[in-house]
Amino acid sequence: MVKPKKELYQNRIELLQGTLDMLILQTLQWGPQHGYAISQSIRGRSGEVLQVETGSLYPALHRLEKQGWVTSQWKQTESNQRAKFYRLTSGGKRQLLSEQARWTQIVAAIAGIMNPAASGSG
Amino acid sequence: MSDIWARLRVRFRRRSRHEDLDEEVQSHLRMAAQERIRQGESAEEARTAALREFGNVGLVKDVTRDMWGWRWIETSGQDVRFAMRTLRRSPGFAAVAVLSLALGIGANTGIFSLINTLMLRLLPVRDPESLVELLHQYPGEPRMNGYSWQSYEHFRNQNHVFSGLTGFSPSRFDMRGGGLGGQTVDGEYVVGDFFPVLGVKPAIGRLIGPEDDRMGAAHSAVAVVSWSFWKSRFNLDPGILGKRIVVQDVPVTVIGVAPREFFGVEIWSRPDIWVPTGLEPVIDHASQPRFSKPLALIGRLKPGVSIEQARAEMSVLFQFTIEEMARNGKDPLMRHLKLEIVPAGAGLAFLRDQFTQPLLVLMALVGLLLLIACASIATLLLARGAAREHEMALRVSLGAGRVRLLRQVMTESLLLSAAGSLLGILVAYFGARSLVRILLSGRPIVGLPPHFTFEVQPDAHVLLFTVGAALVTGVLFGLVPALRAMGTAPASMLQGAARPTQARSARFFGKSLVAAQVALSVVVLSLAGVFTRHLSDLRNQLGFERDHLLLVSLDTAHSGYSAEQLALLYRELLGRLDALPGVRTATLCSPTPISGAGASSFIDVEGYQQKPEDHRYVAISWIAPRYFQTLGTPLLAGRDFTVQDAGGPRVAIVNQAMARYYFADANPIGKHFTIEKDWKNVGGPDKPYEIVGVVGDAKYDDAHGTPPRTVYLPAFGDGRMFASNFILRTSIPPDAATGEVRRSIAEILKGVEVGHITTMSEQVDAAIVPERLIAMLSGSFGTLGLILATIGLYGLLAYTAARRTKEIGIRMALGATRGAVTWMVLRDALVMVSAGLAAGIPVALWSGKFAGSLIEGLPQSSALPISLAALGVIAVALMASYIPARRATRVDPMEALRYE
Repeated sequence: MVKPKKELYQNRIELLQGTLDMLILQTLQWGPQHGYAISQSIRGRSGEVLQVETGSLYPALHRLEKQGWVTSQWKQTESNQRAKFYRLTSGGKRQLLSEQARWTQIVAAIAGIMNPAASGSG
Repeated sequence: MSDIWARLRVRFRRRSRHEDLDEEVQSHLRMAAQERIRQGESAEEARTAALREFGNVGLVKDVTRDMWGWRWIETSGQDVRFAMRTLRRSPGFAAVAVLSLALGIGANTGIFSLINTLMLRLLPVRDPESLVELLHQYPGEPRMNGYSWQSYEHFRNQNHVFSGLTGFSPSRFDMRGGGLGGQTVDGEYVVGDFFPVLGVKPAIGRLIGPEDDRMGAAHSAVAVVSWSFWKSRFNLDPGILGKRIVVQDVPVTVIGVAPREFFGVEIWSRPDIWVPTGLEPVIDHASQPRFSKPLALIGRLKPGVSIEQARAEMSVLFQFTIEEMARNGKDPLMRHLKLEIVPAGAGLAFLRDQFTQPLLVLMALVGLLLLIACASIATLLLARGAAREHEMALRVSLGAGRVRLLRQVMTESLLLSAAGSLLGILVAYFGARSLVRILLSGRPIVGLPPHFTFEVQPDAHVLLFTVGAALVTGVLFGLVPALRAMGTAPASMLQGAARPTQARSARFFGKSLVAAQVALSVVVLSLAGVFTRHLSDLRNQLGFERDHLLLVSLDTAHSGYSAEQLALLYRELLGRLDALPGVRTATLCSPTPISGAGASSFIDVEGYQQKPEDHRYVAISWIAPRYFQTLGTPLLAGRDFTVQDAGGPRVAIVNQAMARYYFADANPIGKHFTIEKDWKNVGGPDKPYEIVGVVGDAKYDDAHGTPPRTVYLPAFGDGRMFASNFILRTSIPPDAATGEVRRSIAEILKGVEVGHITTMSEQVDAAIVPERLIAMLSGSFGTLGLILATIGLYGLLAYTAARRTKEIGIRMALGATRGAVTWMVLRDALVMVSAGLAAGIPVALWSGKFAGSLIEGLPQSSALPISLAALGVIAVALMASYIPARRATRVDPMEALRYE
């Protein structure tokens, strides 16, 4: 097939957009991080379940920066590498709070549908 | 705003931002690799693994950059640059496309800007959509808006449909005082609530209100001036408020200035002063304190009241006006006066009524023209697109996204249409201006000031229209080639073998496009034929010969001669003019034919019983002997007037229409009739006229319609003269005779000024300006459409012939003659043209009928113009196919077969 892959990537971003943004913001809550560390952190914290594609991660970071929820700065890492660190802004913190609230709501709602009798089982 | 600045800053730092992203990706890769090295992988392995894990670096960067915004501008910029490069490679095509679009879009924009000014643009007043005007119509006449004060009061006091009903009356005012030199300006008398009903707020001071408008009272001695008057005469000095100026010898106080954009409700007028109607009796020294001029009425509908409701109620109230008008005369048609309520949000309807029809006809014609241009360019693009199939296939194979490819091809089309529109705006600007000039170049329109104009300013509507036209045309002619580019199948295209099958649908589509152009051209050309024929009918079926007639009118107002003296001198002058070299015959008449002015009266015919409701006016013309000989109107029975008729019994000549109406088949010669007393010049009632001659019907005051029943009376009688316009039939061009004519006048009538010299052809042409315009423009549009269609046809044939070089080579190698090859190409052309004609002729027939239903007097049958148009198209198509056909016959079989 000649159909370029770019559209595939965009589709996935579409699916994950809200959630990925929230995960990134959540990760940055504990301090400024660079892109590689963010992806490692999400993977680690999710017990290796969530693999963040770079093709989703970087567009998301740049989008968040454009919306003013994060800012970026070039700094040295502990291993003396130059890397671009992203930091949560106050607007980003507010956004994170509202996304957390929304997320809880969605999870509760979906759980209610999927498992009406018992309480949700993971 | 700050967002835009941020974007702009980002945009100018774009370079560093790209580098930034590169570096970010590199640092990611480095860290990922280091981590793997820490876990014991070799440096080489770690680097490859990190890269693999990362994915397609270029694509990741690409989608990331998409987040920055501006991305579409960047790629659009690329598309535009690419399209420019492509177009530069075929400048001939680009020039043809841009020029035809410029003409097409320009013509459309131009006509639309006129329509916009006349019909669409709303007045700068409060809630213009609820404004209506009251029109009344006498059978066969234009709709008018003019009422007596009594009617106005009746309407105002009795109606339940208007939240306000107000009126005004245009006039000319002499102004002086207050630092002004004497000057005459356009102005309006307005009813006290004129400004409040329109909802206009003053620029400074206050506007006229109901408290200012009391008949003949000193309160009324106030005036509001226009913003432009304030600017040009008072340099925007606020001290104008309270200034005393003198209007028509009556001192008034300036109380305010109207807002800058306000010009009243007539788009053709720009009044400089408004005074209350109450001032009119003072200005005109009227004996009664009552407004005596006709009042144009505008109302504001109450919320929730529809125009139909208003019409229903006002028609009842209008009986008052009918009674009032019918009281003053015997005309039974007065009873048929009809009231209409029409929207006035875009200004009063009068000018609209005059020009809407020709403008809509022109709009339809330019719309067709633009369609032809689109089809023609689409054909060329398609032929070119087919030639570029190889390139497209290659690019698809190399991974170009189809959407991107589509965008690129569309960019090219839109670029063409944008360039065409820019040029088109220029065309429209100058075109609309000259169009207005031509439209207004006719004789003065009754009901409008003699030298009025209206401004055609492009506004948001017009710009929107142009942009819309550009987009629609761009998409129209670009879509098909673009879709074809999208459908390119890469593999098969790169194998040259698959070509002919691949091109079949494209060829069919191209052929249909050419057929469509042929069809549209036939429609426009045949309509042009119909309009030209109509024009020629108007010019030549007048009942007289319009060529070689010179009209001379004299201004005797300040000459000091008495009526009797003038009568003698005119006779002498007539004899002199008659004898001038180059002049065949000379005569006098009043009014001159097709001048727009006329005289009419009721008559009583001896022995003819007429019911009161059959009373109709007859037209009256005063003429000197040899009038019919001069004009070339046939004398059918009886005799012409002679010099002796001046002193003898009263005689008259009637036209055939009158003779047939009153006397049917009986001989009218020797019959008598009297003219009713309401014509003042006739010199007393009840003296009968004897009919001494019958002449052929000739148009009277207008070139349109059928000739009215006409009575011709002698120019000289009772020692006086009733006709004052000379008409000369010349053997030389009429203009060439004017020098001698002027000399003769100066010798015989000393101190009399020559008022107006013109030719009958000019006078007729001034009466049929819209028809001339439509005929001229439809002719040019038709020609232009044909040229465009020819270009499309030629382009397609040339391209097809070039593509079939190999096939033709084989055919010739196998013994096909040149004739057979020529026929092959011509047959292609003929098929397209025939298909076009098959589709176009029914449409042309229908359009002809439709136009005929809109425009009175249009030739009933459009068969001849359609046949001519079809023949023209076939001839031009054959010429266009000649070059490709000849080129095909020149194919050298060996050369052609060696190809590939």
